[in-house]
Amino acid sequence: METTIKVGFELVGILIIFLLPPYLDGIARRVKARLQYRRGPPLMQTWYDLQKLFNLPSVKPTKSLLFTAAPFLALASAISAALLLPYGNVIPVDFGFNLVVFFYVILMVSVFLILGGLSVQNAFSHIGATREAQLILTVEPLIAILYGVFAYNAGSLNIADIIANLHLTPSLVLAYIVLAYALYVESGFVPFDVAEAEQEVIGGPLGEYSGRLLGVFYYAIHIKRFALLWFFVSLLTMPWIGPINSPERAALVLALQFILTVAFYPIIAALEATNARLRIDQVVKMNVRMFFAGLVILGMAFMGW
Amino acid sequence: MVTTRDLEAHFEFECRACENGHCRKADVETILSERKGLKEFYEAFKEHIRECKRMTYGQYMFVIDREVLPDAVLWWHNHPEFKETHMSTAVGTDERPLNGKFVYMPFLNVQVEPQNMDENYWVFLKAYMPADDPSFPSVAAKLPAALWIEREVKDLLGFNPVGHPDPRRLILPEDWPEGVYPLRKDMDYRHSPMAEVKTEYRETPEGTTLVPMGPVHAGIEEPAHFRLFVKGEEIVDVDYRGFYSHRGIEKTGEGRLTYNQVLFLAERICGICGYQHSVSYAMAVERLADVDIPDRARYIRTLMLELERIHNHLLWVGIAAHLVGYDTGFMHAWRIREPVMWLVERLTGNRKQYGMNIVGGVRRDILDYRKEEILKVVKQIREETKKFLDIALNTNTFIKRAEGVGILPYKVAKAYSVLGPTARASGRRIDTRLDQATKTAMAYNEVDFKVPVYKEGDVLARVLVRMDELFESLWIVEQLIDQMPGGDIMVPIGDLPEYEEALGFTEAHRGEVVHYVMTGEKNKVYRWKVRAPTYNNLPAVPEMLKGYHVADAPLIIASIDPCYSCTERVQFVDVETGKVKVLTEAEFNELSIKYRGVF
Repeated sequence: METTIKVGFELVGILIIFLLPPYLDGIARRVKARLQYRRGPPLMQTWYDLQKLFNLPSVKPTKSLLFTAAPFLALASAISAALLLPYGNVIPVDFGFNLVVFFYVILMVSVFLILGGLSVQNAFSHIGATREAQLILTVEPLIAILYGVFAYNAGSLNIADIIANLHLTPSLVLAYIVLAYALYVESGFVPFDVAEAEQEVIGGPLGEYSGRLLGVFYYAIHIKRFALLWFFVSLLTMPWIGPINSPERAALVLALQFILTVAFYPIIAALEATNARLRIDQVVKMNVRMFFAGLVILGMAFMGW
Repeated sequence: MVTTRDLEAHFEFECRACENGHCRKADVETILSERKGLKEFYEAFKEHIRECKRMTYGQYMFVIDREVLPDAVLWWHNHPEFKETHMSTAVGTDERPLNGKFVYMPFLNVQVEPQNMDENYWVFLKAYMPADDPSFPSVAAKLPAALWIEREVKDLLGFNPVGHPDPRRLILPEDWPEGVYPLRKDMDYRHSPMAEVKTEYRETPEGTTLVPMGPVHAGIEEPAHFRLFVKGEEIVDVDYRGFYSHRGIEKTGEGRLTYNQVLFLAERICGICGYQHSVSYAMAVERLADVDIPDRARYIRTLMLELERIHNHLLWVGIAAHLVGYDTGFMHAWRIREPVMWLVERLTGNRKQYGMNIVGGVRRDILDYRKEEILKVVKQIREETKKFLDIALNTNTFIKRAEGVGILPYKVAKAYSVLGPTARASGRRIDTRLDQATKTAMAYNEVDFKVPVYKEGDVLARVLVRMDELFESLWIVEQLIDQMPGGDIMVPIGDLPEYEEALGFTEAHRGEVVHYVMTGEKNKVYRWKVRAPTYNNLPAVPEMLKGYHVADAPLIIASIDPCYSCTERVQFVDVETGKVKVLTEAEFNELSIKYRGVF
C-alpha cells in the first residue's frame, strides 16, 4: 500500500514536470499580453510552438558533437533537477544530500547552454555564452551561501530534512527574500535575460540553433524555470504546515505546491512586462552587492539570529 | 538658362534674380546687403567669386573657384557670430549638356539669429569643374559633415575629392562596375555587375574582435552594416557600410517624369516621413515658379506635417523601448499612436503616403465637421502620452539603460552637422521650422511653439526632446484648427522656368529634410537632390558608439531614428537560363510606356 501511494505521487510529480512548464510560459504570455492591452495567445501556445519545433529538422552549422548533444544534456539536467524536489511528501530521486546535487544539476543547464553557444563560429553566440557565464559565475556563489544558511538552520543537506527542520529566525526571513532574487536571476527572466537578448545578440547561445534542437533547449529552459520556482515554493510553504503523515495531507500539500507555482507565475510575468533589460555589467554589479548581503545573512545565521 | 559666359572674367556679376523681378536691378550691392554676413563673405573671397545671385527668398548662390571651396565652406561653418550654421549637404550635377562642365555645390544653413526665419538664409557655393578633370579639394578632413557627400559624388558622378581621408565606395554596391557613374547624363545602361565583388572593409584593429551588426540584424529594422570592433563587450571602433536599399529615386525623377509626378515619388522616399519629403519637394518647385500658395493650403499642410510628427515620435519611443527589452512600453506607445493613423486616414484617405499634396497646394480640403474629430484625438493622445511617460520614465531599468549612454557632445554634433532631435539633445538650438523661411509653404510663422533643447546629449535626452516636441506638436495642431483660414486650397503653377534652381526644406521628426530642384526643359526636373536627415546623423553614430557596450549599440543606433533612404537599377533576369539582361534606356522607356498604369 505504502509503495503504491509513493509510486502514485512520483507519477503525478513526473507528469507535472513534463506537462506543466510550457503551460506556465503560456500563462506568462497571457498575463504580459493583458498588461499590454492585447488579447494574447492561448495557454497551449508554448506547447504548439514546441510541437512545431520538434517536427522541424535542425540546421547544423558545425560538425561538433557538442552542438547536437548540448540541448539533450541540458534537458536531462533540468529533468533530473526537477526529480530531486518534493511532490507532496515524496521525492522521486532521493540522495542523502539532495540540495548540493540540485545546485549542481540545475547549473548544468546553463553550462550546456554556454558550451552549445561556444561550439559554433558566431560572434553573437559567443557574446551570449560569455554573458551567461558571467551571470552564472556571479549568482551561483550567492545561491551557495543562501543554501548554506538553510542547511545550517536545519542542520542538514537533504531537502526533505531541511523542510522538516527549518525554524524561523530573522536570518531565515532575509534568506528567503534574497533567494527569491537569486532564483529569479538564475531563471533568466527580464531584466536578467541578458544572455538571450534578442535585440542585442539575436538569441545569444541559441542563435545558431533551429528546429528540433532549439525546441529541446526551450523545453529544458522551461523545465529549469519550473524547477527553480517549485523549489522556492516548497521551501517557502512546506516547513510551516506541520508534519505530512497521511496520504490525504500529502495530496493537499501537493495541490498547494501546484496552486502556488501557478499563482507565482503571473507575478513573474508582471515583473518581466514592466521592466527593461539590464546590461551585463549592471547585472554583475547587482549580483556582487547581493553576494555581500548574503555573507551578512550567513553571519547572522551562525550567530543564531 | 544657366549662365556661364561670365566665368572667364573676374569681378563681373550677373544677378539672375532681377530678371524674375525679385530685385530692382542687377545690383550686386543690393543683394549682398540684404542679409547679414553676405557682404563680409564677399569681401573675404572676392577674388574667387565669379557670380552671385539670389535664387529665391532667403537663398543665395555664389559661383566660386573650386580651389577655395574648402576655405569658403569652413568660413561659413566656423563663423564666430553665426553659431548654429552648418553645412547642410552638397549637390553634384552633370551640366555637360548645358555648358560642358560638372558642378559641385555644397550648401549651408546660415543661422544669423536662431529661430528668426527672415534673418537666416541658405548659401550655395557653386564650383564648376572642367569635364576632363572633375576634381575638387576635399574639406572632409577638417569638416566631417562632408565625409559622406564627397564619397557620394565620387560614386555617382565620378568626381574626385582630392585629399579625402576615406575615399571608399559609399553608395554603389560592391559589384558595381568601375567607371560607371549613374548620375551622369550619358550613363550607359548596358553594363553588368562585375564578376568579382570588391569589398572594402576596414581592417580589424589589433587586439579587438569583430562583431558584425548587420547587414541584417534584429535590432535594426532596415539593412545596414555596422562592424563593431570590440574588446570584451566594449566598443573600440566602428566601421559602417550602408546603402543596401539604394533605389535610384533621384535618377528616376530626372528626365522622364513631370514635376507633379516627381512629387508622388518624393512621398515614397520614406515610409513614415513621406509627407515631409512631399512638402519639401513641392516647396522647392513653388519657389521656382514663384507663386504664393493659398493660406488654407499652408495650414492644411502644417496640420498634416504635425500629425505625422506626432505619430512618428510615438513610433520611435516604442521602438526604443522594444530595443531595451521593455515590450510593454513598445506595445502601449504603438497603441496610443494608432488613433492618429485612423485620423489621417479619415482626413486624406490613406494611413501613410497621404497623396495629399500637389505642387501649388493640397488636393483635399479638411471638412469643417472633421475639426472636432481632430481635437478629440489630440486630447486623447495628450492624456494617454502623459500617462505613458509617467510609467516609462519611472521604470528604473529603462532609465538605467538610456541615461548616460551614447553621449554626443555639442562640438561633435556641430562638426558632423547633426540635425533634428539628435542635435537638440546635444544642445544645438536648431529647428528648420523656425530657422528658415518655411512660411511660403507652411504656416509655422503663424503659430506659437517652443523648441525643446537639452544639453546632456545621451539617449535619455533624445527621448525627452522627442516627447517634449510631441506635446508642442499637439499644441500646434490645436492652434491650426483654431486659426484655419478659408479660401482656396490650391493655385495652378503653369510652366516652370528652365534651368532654375531652388531649395525646399522642412523639419521632419528626424531633422531637416532638404530637396534641391533644378528644372530642365518642358517642365521636367533636370537635377533633383534629396537629403534626408539620417544622411547627416548616421555618420555621427560611430562617434556615439565608441566606449559603450555591445548591448547599447542597437539603442544608440536607434536613438537617432535612422531611416536608410536611397537608388536601384532595373535588371531582368531570365529565370530559365539565369542570364542577366540589362535594358537599354530606349527599351526601358518603351516598357514603361507599354506597362503604364500596370505597375
